[in-house]
Amino acid sequence: MLDMTKKIIERKKGKAGKIIKKIVLGFVVILVCAIILFPLVWMFPAAFKTKREIWQIPNTWWPNVFVGDNFSKIMNLDLNGYNFLSSLLWTLLVSTVAVVLSLLVNMLAAFSFATMEFRGKKALWVYFIITMCIPGITILLTSLRVVYSLHLTDTIWVLILPGIVSAYNIFFFRQFFYSIPLSLEEAATIDGCSRWKIFWKIFFPMSSTPMVIIGVGVFMGYWNSFIWPTLTIINNTKIAQIMQVIRILNTSTYAGQNYSIIIAATELAILIPLALFAIFQKKIIAGIAISGLK
Amino acid sequence: MENADRFSLDNPLYRLDHKRDNRFRYRHQWSAYAMLLPAFILVTIFVIIPLVMALFRAFQDYNTKKFVGWTNFEYLFQSDVFLSSFGNVLIMTAIITAATLIFSFFFALVLKYFDNKFGEIAKIIIYVPCFIAGIATSIIFGLLTNYGGGLLTSIAISLGLDPVSFTDSTTLARMAIIIPTIWIGFGSNTLVLYAGLINIPKEYYEAASIDGANWSQRLWDITIPSMRNYFVLQLVSLITGNMQMMEIPLMVTGGGPLNTTMTPVLFLYNSYRDTSRPQNATIAGALIIMLIIGSINWIVFKTISSRRSEDA
Repeated sequence: MLDMTKKIIERKKGKAGKIIKKIVLGFVVILVCAIILFPLVWMFPAAFKTKREIWQIPNTWWPNVFVGDNFSKIMNLDLNGYNFLSSLLWTLLVSTVAVVLSLLVNMLAAFSFATMEFRGKKALWVYFIITMCIPGITILLTSLRVVYSLHLTDTIWVLILPGIVSAYNIFFFRQFFYSIPLSLEEAATIDGCSRWKIFWKIFFPMSSTPMVIIGVGVFMGYWNSFIWPTLTIINNTKIAQIMQVIRILNTSTYAGQNYSIIIAATELAILIPLALFAIFQKKIIAGIAISGLK
Repeated sequence: MENADRFSLDNPLYRLDHKRDNRFRYRHQWSAYAMLLPAFILVTIFVIIPLVMALFRAFQDYNTKKFVGWTNFEYLFQSDVFLSSFGNVLIMTAIITAATLIFSFFFALVLKYFDNKFGEIAKIIIYVPCFIAGIATSIIFGLLTNYGGGLLTSIAISLGLDPVSFTDSTTLARMAIIIPTIWIGFGSNTLVLYAGLINIPKEYYEAASIDGANWSQRLWDITIPSMRNYFVLQLVSLITGNMQMMEIPLMVTGGGPLNTTMTPVLFLYNSYRDTSRPQNATIAGALIIMLIIGSINWIVFKTISSRRSEDA
């Protein structure tokens, strides 16, 4: 009898304990999310502050004096030839072209590795995969020599071309193509489809999910790149990339006196990446589970 | 993976029709080469040729192109700043990697309790910083850490303390780099580890609870061993990424105070811009970085895979 009561009490305790546990853990989740969001939430109104209020002690979160023209100032800014709006648009163009080219080139390579046999396949696979082990910094300086001798500097191609091929992306697409049933491919072959047609009519349309995951990743890589544009876009300041311009703003005396303008620029510069995330968040979050990498 | 052996002779369909017929086996050879061509050309021009050039130039004199043996490397090893930059980056990488892995792992464990809308939203929120560049992150954190009137200084003053300077003291300067870096990487690491947690078969836990295993036993004996591959993946990517850190140190401290936050990549970046320094020594430095990252990752792989064979 006593045993029974003990067991019942324990079970009840367990249930109550579970609810308490869930509430505590829920608070942990909320706390962590708040910490993560804090810098962004703190930053947002700072773009509307006067240059004095932004460093005022004690700090304010919401501006006492609301200044709306920091955004229009930054849009019209022309700092020694660096134009914020123009570089925003050029960065958008470069990143978009890079996404299209990168998907195309890497998917075609993955398609031939996944579905065809050819002499030297293993050696070529190693040739691509080995590039995963080379840190960007190792080839940075000699890559610059290469683009100088190809006369690519100060063009958009120097920004786009070097990052197009990614062994990781080829690997990712190859794994995905393996999951497409062989029977589809065989049926298409019997119908007389060429390899190009099979790629366009079967593999390409079926790859929308990995294309979003990889495409967003490639876009972010280009949008956020800093070292490469800084070293290759020197005279043609019109096409300077957005992070390059933000760095220049931050070191310039003009904006050094007015941090809220830099904050306004930063907010505009992270707007497009965050919008992309908002649009594709479902696929991106689900994609992490598939790809296992960011 | 299931189609990996589609061309194997063990595949009855394949063997039946086309016994060892190479003409059939390689029937699409030229399409394959054509489709590989763009990727091959680009990777050759922008990765392989620069790598080969780097291997040569590291042993050449910049002006005369004569082979000079280890001179470039010797020059580097005489530079105290370069040598200490490895120490700096190792310390910061170790802290960032350990903190990110531990925080991410425990937060992933917590998230596992919430497979509902609440959890979904939390996952989206923690992933947001991954979309923000290092340069932008430094600007955002500048609002908190600015000496003249950032949030922390403001709080310190209202408590009657001195303003907080993140660029004067070594510890604080490193903190000002480490914290934004963790902030950027926390979300993606958590979600990868979360994916790993979800993939652990439920039967393991059921069996353990029948055996009366408690929470910590389940953690050490089931969860952590099952997550080994995910930990390796994250370790390698965290080490590779952070050993090359450069944007945040450049923006936050510029390498100071007294070069205590100088990283090798930042050093090489400065060397490149400063034409008075020998450029081929810079290339030699870049090779050293590759070697160090490569060996750290190799050690990680080796230790983890040898532990695996013990279990088997």
